[in-house]
Amino acid sequence: MQINFARREIACKIVYYGPGMSGKTTNLEVLHAKTPKENKGELTCIATEGDRTLFFDFMPLNLGNIRGMNTKFQLYTVPGQVYYNSTRKLVLRGVDGVIFVADSSPDKMDENIESLRNLEDNLRDYGRDIDSVSIIIQYNKRDRPDAVDVKILNDKINKRGYPWFEAVATDGTGVFDSLKSLAGQVIQKLELHSAGIEGADKNGATGSPDRGHVAPRASAPSANPAASRSGSSAPTGRTAAASTPKPARQEAARPAASSSPRKSAPATRRPAASARPQPGATTKAPGGRQASGGVATKAAPKTAPKTATRPAKARTQPVRRTTKTSAPAAKSSSSWVMPTMIVVAVLAAAGAAWKFFL
Amino acid sequence: MSFSDDRIGQGHWTSLRSEDAAQLDAILKEFLTVSGAKCALLVDKDGYLVTQQGEAFSFNHDTISALVAGGYGATKEIARLLGEDEFSVLFHQGKRESIQLTLVSDRVLLTVIFDDQTTLGLVRLYASEAAKKLGEVITRLDETTTSPAGHSIGEGFAQNAKDRLDNLFR
Repeated sequence: MQINFARREIACKIVYYGPGMSGKTTNLEVLHAKTPKENKGELTCIATEGDRTLFFDFMPLNLGNIRGMNTKFQLYTVPGQVYYNSTRKLVLRGVDGVIFVADSSPDKMDENIESLRNLEDNLRDYGRDIDSVSIIIQYNKRDRPDAVDVKILNDKINKRGYPWFEAVATDGTGVFDSLKSLAGQVIQKLELHSAGIEGADKNGATGSPDRGHVAPRASAPSANPAASRSGSSAPTGRTAAASTPKPARQEAARPAASSSPRKSAPATRRPAASARPQPGATTKAPGGRQASGGVATKAAPKTAPKTATRPAKARTQPVRRTTKTSAPAAKSSSSWVMPTMIVVAVLAAAGAAWKFFL
Repeated sequence: MSFSDDRIGQGHWTSLRSEDAAQLDAILKEFLTVSGAKCALLVDKDGYLVTQQGEAFSFNHDTISALVAGGYGATKEIARLLGEDEFSVLFHQGKRESIQLTLVSDRVLLTVIFDDQTTLGLVRLYASEAAKKLGEVITRLDETTTSPAGHSIGEGFAQNAKDRLDNLFR
């Protein structure tokens, strides 16, 4: 996490982790497609020719100005294949939160378990306390006819009791809820830590609260307690969805309260949209990735990079003024005095020498 | 002053105050003047942009910061295979624009973008000097700051952010 008072920015790093082909990049693609252009940068994918993530995918998500600070999330994915662990570990550096995307297919159970273990090992290697890192699990591909029951998934994979969500990333179900939940946890930690620290930065976050985008809905944590409690014993997403089909949009619009479920009481989402089984659609991203290898920047509107850059530039301007008026200014005035004194001394010495020769 | 990079129990934080950034910016400005480079960015190894001076480019600074940090991290593995801890300087040459990365204080990367208006030799020479000065500043800031004091973001920030997220993905 970076709190940059000079640029008036707060940036948090969120990583999508999980076994290969579980839907990490699809999560990012859906987010990129649905995020308003003024809130996103380009989606950068470093993929192999086989359309697999080689290094990482990256998407900057900008929440805009919140209490005088431009607040951003940097969303990364990692390559899921076992042999890319060096890359995964590298991307985890400085991570603030992890969305573990698990594959609900029965034949992927071992890979899910191994990948989660690998995540915990890599975090430990960085000296991170596992329990201190915000982690949620997203059970993806819930629309598969053979998707493993969530209770079984929780028993086998989620032994630490991380908050979990069901998802069908290809149609967006559960994607936004997962991100909102994790981002909420990360931001909450930021505020808690910051609250215990004295002596605010004089040039820093003194802006007035930005109330322009406050959601009109109430977002109390108890907004959907029944659904949360039913998580561990709930029927599978398919069953539940079949009985209560809802548009995915409604699912995504649930109260933010669910955004910060406690680890001790895992919340659940029963994705309504998973009511619509989509065989064959589980592994193909909407829009698809660029087929060729190398770095592929997704089709963000041309204005997106500018909108992401300009506010930051504007915010740096006051800083530059600060630069001119502080230490460097004093330095520049003293730098005039010294050469002048040297010139005077040299002239005086030359005059004395001239007199001596005369 | 607080260019701090601390682990405060729960995580990994980097923070920078305005007056500290001014010191770094002054060095970057001086470097750009003498080297003739177009743009200089300080990017930390986690992929965050610390500060930037020089010509404004149309690219997204968050993206280039992430890619620079990622690319540097990848070469660290190559260095390890060669028996090195890490490479201190990396250079990528393009047809028009080139980029050089110089490690500063094992913490941040001085990322210099330049074109044919200057030469690699000049950039390398002055980047080395600038990296030394930047390293001294960062070390001094580290020594004077043992905790991220002064980073209060205000009560209600989290709720505002959550509401904004809700609104974004309604």
